[in-house]
Amino acid sequence: MRTDPMGLGRGPLTRWLPVVGQTAPEPPDVGPFEAGEGDRPGQFVTRVVFSLPRITVPAMLLAIVWQVGEAAVPVVMGLAIDRALVTGDTGQLVLWLGALVALYVALTAAARFTNRLNTYAIQLLQHRLRATLSTRVLHSDGSAGRAPADNVVSVMTNDVGRLANAVLLVILPIARIAAIAFIAASLLVTYWPLGVVVLLGAPAAVWLMGFLSERLARDTRVYQDLLAETVGRATDLVAGYRVIKGVRAEAEATRRYRQASQETLVAARRNAGLLGRFLVGSGAVNGVFVAAVTGLAGWFAVDGQLSIGELIAVGGLTQALLPQMQAIANYSIPNLAGARASAARIMDVLKNADTVASGHDDALRQRRSPLPAQGVAAPSAGVLEVDVPSGSIRVEPGELVGVHADDRTAARIADALLNPWAADDTEVRLDGRPAHELTPAEYRRVVTAAPHRATLFTGTIRDNLTVTGSPPERMDSAVWAAACEDFAAGLDTPVGENGNRLSGGQRQRVALARAFATDAPMLVLHDPTTAVDSVTEQLIAERLVGVRRDRSTLLIASSPALLGCCDRVVDLLDDVPALGKAAP
Amino acid sequence: MTGGSVRTPNALPIAGGRETAREMWRLCRGHRRQLAALVVLGVVSTAIELIGPVAIGFLIDRVQEGTADFGIVLIVTAIMAVSAVLGAAGTAATIVLATRMYHTILAGLREELVSRALTLPQHVVEGAGTGDLISRSSDDVTAVADAAPAVIPVLTVTSFTIVMSLGGLAAVEWPYAVALAIVLPVYALSMRWYLRTGPRVYLAERAAMSARAQQILESQRGYATVLGFRLAEQRHRAVTTTSWGVSAQALRARTVQSMLNTRLNLGECLSLAAVLVVGFVLIDHGDSTVGGATTAMLLVLRLLNPVNQLLFVVDTVQSALASLNRMIGVATIPVADAPSIATSSGAHLREVSFHYGAGPRVLVDVTLDVPTGQRVAVVGSSGAGKSTLATVIAGIHQPDAGTVARPQRTMMITQEVHVFTGTLRDNLTLAAPQATDAQVRAALEVAQAVGTLDLLPDGLDTVLGGGGYELTAAQAQQMALTRLVLADPELAIFDEATAEAGSAYAGALDRAADAALTGRTGLVIAHRLSQAAACDLVVVMEHGRIAERGTHPELIAAGGVYAALWSAWQAGQETGANGSR
Repeated sequence: MRTDPMGLGRGPLTRWLPVVGQTAPEPPDVGPFEAGEGDRPGQFVTRVVFSLPRITVPAMLLAIVWQVGEAAVPVVMGLAIDRALVTGDTGQLVLWLGALVALYVALTAAARFTNRLNTYAIQLLQHRLRATLSTRVLHSDGSAGRAPADNVVSVMTNDVGRLANAVLLVILPIARIAAIAFIAASLLVTYWPLGVVVLLGAPAAVWLMGFLSERLARDTRVYQDLLAETVGRATDLVAGYRVIKGVRAEAEATRRYRQASQETLVAARRNAGLLGRFLVGSGAVNGVFVAAVTGLAGWFAVDGQLSIGELIAVGGLTQALLPQMQAIANYSIPNLAGARASAARIMDVLKNADTVASGHDDALRQRRSPLPAQGVAAPSAGVLEVDVPSGSIRVEPGELVGVHADDRTAARIADALLNPWAADDTEVRLDGRPAHELTPAEYRRVVTAAPHRATLFTGTIRDNLTVTGSPPERMDSAVWAAACEDFAAGLDTPVGENGNRLSGGQRQRVALARAFATDAPMLVLHDPTTAVDSVTEQLIAERLVGVRRDRSTLLIASSPALLGCCDRVVDLLDDVPALGKAAP
Repeated sequence: MTGGSVRTPNALPIAGGRETAREMWRLCRGHRRQLAALVVLGVVSTAIELIGPVAIGFLIDRVQEGTADFGIVLIVTAIMAVSAVLGAAGTAATIVLATRMYHTILAGLREELVSRALTLPQHVVEGAGTGDLISRSSDDVTAVADAAPAVIPVLTVTSFTIVMSLGGLAAVEWPYAVALAIVLPVYALSMRWYLRTGPRVYLAERAAMSARAQQILESQRGYATVLGFRLAEQRHRAVTTTSWGVSAQALRARTVQSMLNTRLNLGECLSLAAVLVVGFVLIDHGDSTVGGATTAMLLVLRLLNPVNQLLFVVDTVQSALASLNRMIGVATIPVADAPSIATSSGAHLREVSFHYGAGPRVLVDVTLDVPTGQRVAVVGSSGAGKSTLATVIAGIHQPDAGTVARPQRTMMITQEVHVFTGTLRDNLTLAAPQATDAQVRAALEVAQAVGTLDLLPDGLDTVLGGGGYELTAAQAQQMALTRLVLADPELAIFDEATAEAGSAYAGALDRAADAALTGRTGLVIAHRLSQAAACDLVVVMEHGRIAERGTHPELIAAGGVYAALWSAWQAGQETGANGSR
């Protein structure tokens, strides 16, 4: 394998060739795409596809060689039959065989390099678009005050892919048009009335096929949506598997799935019928067109206007003409339409991320500061104050303050501490300064907020603990304080996607250990032990005090055990009616 | 290639080629006559399409001889047009027939798959990971369905075209077919090379793409975590690195495709050259005509495209087959009929032992009676075997030793709440499909959920889950309780059913759970010891055994494990209530 490091399956014959056109191992440093205020999707598509002229122009030239070369194959064959086979001249045969080989070498090489360049251009654009979305939407500093919507995942994969694919529009259709021009010119040179007939007839034939395909395309989308729904239902049922098992609803769940599946089947069968209709129509149009042109050429040949070789070449050229036109109709036009729709979605997502932020101070618009170097002493906490309608909370340096509130208020406080710029009626102050006047970097250097619904990232327990940049020596005390010792003896256990290899309680404790490991000057915890059993919870409450000594902690919780370990508890529950007060 | 991924011993099975073929043949039952019709139709219609090139050759010979006239040109044109229309109709019918069969069989298979997936023993699914099952019932089903437009024409019309064109060539101008046969090894070698290299490269590309999607998904889901822990820079780097990782794989995959293309072009070039040389020699000897050579060339030209298509679609076929193997692997797992003893008087366990796979015993000789109408609490620390006990009683796990007797209608609610995509009514009637709206409302009343759930925007028709209305954790729990009330089981098992509501609503949920249990036999895995105190009997578990049993006052008086737990818990309650240390 040493001679084939790329795993391209290169044998002894091709191994010596250099591998060209592969990517650099490091991502290129690419600037973001800007979507202007009044931009229309079409303009955005244009900007994107014209952004790489140094790749796309050579790719286009090579593509022209490739496509014209393909169109020239029947011409060369026709000429070879005419000049060599009809005459029986060996010299001519050798000459035309040489021409055929040369043609194939040229078109193969051109195809190869243009495809390589196309892929590179697509990948580069995808990367650049994705990096733009990653900075501005997925990992925005939070000053926009809105979490990225669910669709950001599909926008960053499917839509980015579709938009980047539009770069082919400045390469392939142009080459195809060049090939069509070549075919037209050849026909006109051969016998001009024939050329005119073909050039008028071919677009009409292609238009007819496009017309026939419309209904099919619409129905295909309907069918694909239904299929996606059925597949989604299966995912949903399997994800809720334990619930179904628990209530013995296997039969009913299967029945519901079967119903969705059968509806999809009906749609699939109808779609197949429409496909058949389209195939009959387009096949008939194609066949009749070719037959008519051949008949016409035959008539001219009978008339003595065309030689045998020309008759053969005309047949070949006519057959090559339709696929070129169909490719433009079937690939390029949908490509453009898809790219515009995707561009619109991408611009929407970008705009949503921006509009909310535009009202804020300009300082907020600055990009994030780099991660603080490890080992540098973290800044001290200062005084944290939170004002909510039902009261106010104050945390002095080094204090452990509990907050007991109803669900809604608790969530409101936690959200405000996570993202003070988006808070409506909750004000957060740090050393007397309103937090929304600070930059995100300044605020977050001091306040670390661990959300109630914590997310574990794919990797091991250790990966999750060190993800925040915490030094390894703090791991042990954090793991101990979060009472993870029963399952986290080996920190190198993978947690699985979304931590699904751990139980709910284990996930929560790993998340808690992660929060402890940051050793943040000011740590905000929100109901960190709801899935942990009461005995373990008591253990955590006892250890929490030690691990957060000399650091400030704000603990929003309803668990008596946790509140019991606090220096002070702010009870905001007094004015809340019965529902919450009825605890035993 | 087997080295790809390390398979855990618990992984769900993947069917072998022979097994898949057998299952597919079985699923074809009832379609076999159609299958035969399909083959006949495909052969006839591709044969009709051969008429065109032959007619052109005939015309050329006539023109060259000088015997052609307007009438002959007209006849040839008409024959070409009619054969093209008939051929198109025939191939279209073949494709429609094949596509419908394909989808019918696929629908049958995916239904069997989901039905089997839901009846599999829980430990089998959990050992393999739910993710595997989800990907088989979604990604694999989609992969097989999406392969249809590419695969079906190739497997039917294209392959018939290849066979018929070769056959036609042999029949009309056989020496050309022999010349073509000499080029065949080029294609065979290309195919072998591609099958060895292609799948590996595409697999790597797909793996890189799913790693990328996973990173994006985690950043999106974990937005709060990313924000709270200042992870934006780092997550951005993770996303861009995996994103760029895809481009390397994509370029590699396209390189391999170009290499295949080069090999195919070599084959094409050789085929056409062979036609020229053979034609030259034959015409020289007077064994063929220029028209014959043209027919041969046209047949070879129409052969090349399908051959290329066939090679290019090979990897789609392969990955669809891989998906099929994974689907059939699950669909054909034999179901062992679980021996169960039904009683109508509570639940009874006799010396029950249980372990997961090859793990240690989680339950050891547990003997327990839950008398009819009584409520039993199970307490203990994490890992004591409480949840396992609940699943064994519920019949979700089968014990390794001992016997379990339970009422026919036994249901369990676990900590895991899942809101199914669909209306609130669909969610509630999952375990009682025949229930009327009036019954649903009555159940909401019993579970004290009227106030919370009935106020959703569209009442019972509110669409939940997926892109629909999002329930809070407490609302989802109330929904689960209502579902249980509606299904009206004799024995209800709550495994920390109100745990997630470790919040201000815990009290309300506790009362709802209490109401839902009224009039039934109940087993409660207690999270808060206050729940245990309200039960008729308390069972304390330690290391898979029952350590203590008795009523709450008895156990407190006994001063054992339970008493220690109780006083620790009480201490926590009091300090919390006092609001200071």
